[in-house]
Amino acid sequence: MEIEVVSSGMPYYPALLKEIKDYPRQLYYTGNIKFLSRRCVAVVGSRTTTAYGRSVSDLVGRKLGECGVTVVSGMARGVDSFAHNGALKVNGMTAAVFAGGVDVCYPPENKSLMEKIAERGVIVSEHPPGTVPKKYSFPMRNRIISGLCEMTVIVQARNRSGALITAESAMDQGRKVMAVPGNIDSEYNLGNNKLIQEGADIAVSADDIIRALGIRRKVHEDMGKILSSTEYQFYELLHNSGEMSIDEVCIAMDKPAGYVNRIASVLEMKGLIFSDMGKVFLANR
Amino acid sequence: MFIKVKTAALSGVKGYPVNVEVDVHRGMPSFNIVGLANTTIKEACQRIKPAVKNSGFDFPVDKVTINLVPADIPKDGSHFDLPIAIGIMMSCNPGMIADDTAFFGELSLDGRLNPVKGILPLVMAVRERGTLKVIVPAENAEEAAMLSDMTVLPAEDLQQVADYTLGSRDIAAYKGKSIGEENKSVPDYNQVIGQENAKRAMVIAAAGNHGILMMGEPGCGKTMIAKRLPGILPPPDFEEKLEITGIYSVAGMFDKEKGLMTERPFRCPHHTITTAGMIGGGARPGPGELSLAHKGVLFLDEMGEFRPRVIDSMRQPVEEGVIRLRRGHGEVIFPSEVMVVIAANPCKCGNLWSSTKRCTCTRGQINSYKRKILGPFGDRIDMHVKMQPPGFDELRDAERGELRNFGLSSGQMRETVIQCREIQKDRYKGTEYTLNGKLDEYGITKYCIMDSAASEMMSSAYEKFNLTMRGYGRVLKVARTIADIDKEERIMAEHIAEALSYRVSGDYYRE
Repeated sequence: MEIEVVSSGMPYYPALLKEIKDYPRQLYYTGNIKFLSRRCVAVVGSRTTTAYGRSVSDLVGRKLGECGVTVVSGMARGVDSFAHNGALKVNGMTAAVFAGGVDVCYPPENKSLMEKIAERGVIVSEHPPGTVPKKYSFPMRNRIISGLCEMTVIVQARNRSGALITAESAMDQGRKVMAVPGNIDSEYNLGNNKLIQEGADIAVSADDIIRALGIRRKVHEDMGKILSSTEYQFYELLHNSGEMSIDEVCIAMDKPAGYVNRIASVLEMKGLIFSDMGKVFLANR
Repeated sequence: MFIKVKTAALSGVKGYPVNVEVDVHRGMPSFNIVGLANTTIKEACQRIKPAVKNSGFDFPVDKVTINLVPADIPKDGSHFDLPIAIGIMMSCNPGMIADDTAFFGELSLDGRLNPVKGILPLVMAVRERGTLKVIVPAENAEEAAMLSDMTVLPAEDLQQVADYTLGSRDIAAYKGKSIGEENKSVPDYNQVIGQENAKRAMVIAAAGNHGILMMGEPGCGKTMIAKRLPGILPPPDFEEKLEITGIYSVAGMFDKEKGLMTERPFRCPHHTITTAGMIGGGARPGPGELSLAHKGVLFLDEMGEFRPRVIDSMRQPVEEGVIRLRRGHGEVIFPSEVMVVIAANPCKCGNLWSSTKRCTCTRGQINSYKRKILGPFGDRIDMHVKMQPPGFDELRDAERGELRNFGLSSGQMRETVIQCREIQKDRYKGTEYTLNGKLDEYGITKYCIMDSAASEMMSSAYEKFNLTMRGYGRVLKVARTIADIDKEERIMAEHIAEALSYRVSGDYYRE
């Protein structure tokens, strides 16, 4: 792993970052630092998430990656990791900002993700290599995440999540903040929903985020063409509700479970839905 | 004077014939039992002497030697009292004849006969040797009379048996109660609200004898679903009924009121069970829960709470269908052909999948819990059903008494299972296989033949779902059963598709 340094006067020092008042004088990095000179969007959220939060982070990561936007996050558990992964899945650009040295993997289980980001994206930190992240260094790191980006998207955050610190610093830095709404009966969504209440832009669909950046995407091809009529019926049902248990689909379609399971597997293999916990979910396209 | 009396002894849940040889010689009065008899049998002399005297017969004041043949297998059980006593009495009373009869029974000091454990397998053992007449304690008569070709002579006391062998008084043969009436104690599946998905999975699992794991938050109906399973299994045939009853007889759990066990057993051991309790054991090995569930269902409720060692010990017995316990004196074999049904919460606190309750588990706890459920034993379970509690709509509809046209009842489910098992019986006739769930690697390649669309789907599923080689085989086995339910000879794409929905996965769970 090659670690390099870029200081604030040098050409590849990210221009947006230099605008914030307490920008780091030098950045250690490994990977392609040029990615940070492209359009950057931060995708952040809590470490503990629900299936919904994971699915949305993955979706947002992929959408942004597909549009050539660099996905910036902190490689923490939960939302961050899924956002990085989403971007990597579509061969998009992604950047991880570390709270310790760029060679110190935290959390340790993200070792393989870290290797992928170093290889196909970039890892940056204001701390010299070998620095072990301290509790207080995470909020400091968050100002860099938001500082690098023109917009910060909060996917899912609990009431006192660190992601809210990132949102706050983005606002201080005069950057755009978008929040993904979540169901209101879950405390996992309290933070992002509160942000919306306080005036953050709301991302009703993943395309909303793309639109906010001023990027246009063409509408997806007609599902009716690639699906059989029963598959379409199933897909449409799920499209309207987002998630359903198999039993609910049985009732809605008035078909036995064996039949519904067959369609579910076919749609899952086509990548349109995924199943877990006895439910089916609309896959992120 | 040399006498031989027929009886039998138990090894595991099977009996084997034993001859009691009695030799009475002039010499210092003594009483010796040889032939690896254990304490219960050695104590017999203390019971036999008074029992014989109190029945009005003489006990020889000579050197008495008893040999239990075959002499190299350790023997246990108080049922040797009667054959030994009869043997000794015969040596003093040349008029007594007992060539065609086997004897079982424990003696009281006054000569009365007490009932003994395991009479069914004991009687079956002498029956195999061609002895068709047995004398048993009156209380054991019902059990022995299940073998309709046996002449069962119930005796109250030693006096009666002695009179019979002398030919001075006959004993009326015991006629068993009529058997075959089905016990209808199992509740019906149509009482379950919703959960059609899990019910469908149960039909498939029962039809192909696939191990099944149900996962879902507490209260979603896992136990309800499992408890109803015996109601959809095909009834055991007569030989199986005898086998099941024999095991319960050895365990001392034979119910005289019910007689022959006409239903497949459903065992639901508590999660605090020990290894010995599960697979059987003890210094004198007795059957464990796995054997008590033989030919039936073993239900492990709250799989995550069982001791890992207990779960581990079940792996081989469940795969092989037999338990081999090695003891100092050799191997004891217990049967264990069971259908395994497992219920588990998604995590230790149970709320991981809940949309309303909060999961309090740490990441480490979730991971270790998952390892426990999907570990080496869980890896041998063919089907994985993930359950959600029924929605409010379903509860409300059920309260109104609305029946949906696909709300299956146990009767319908059982019909499907029986038909599907018939197809398997025909296919596996003359092979080592019996049911789809028991196919090994070779059996899978030989019998799970797919059409071209199916194999195309299978190969893309292999990549898409990251199936392991074992997972691939499991999907094929389940697809074979689904195809059999649809009465299709070849596995088609739709069967693969459905089987895939029951695949064992921990994708998001792993995270």
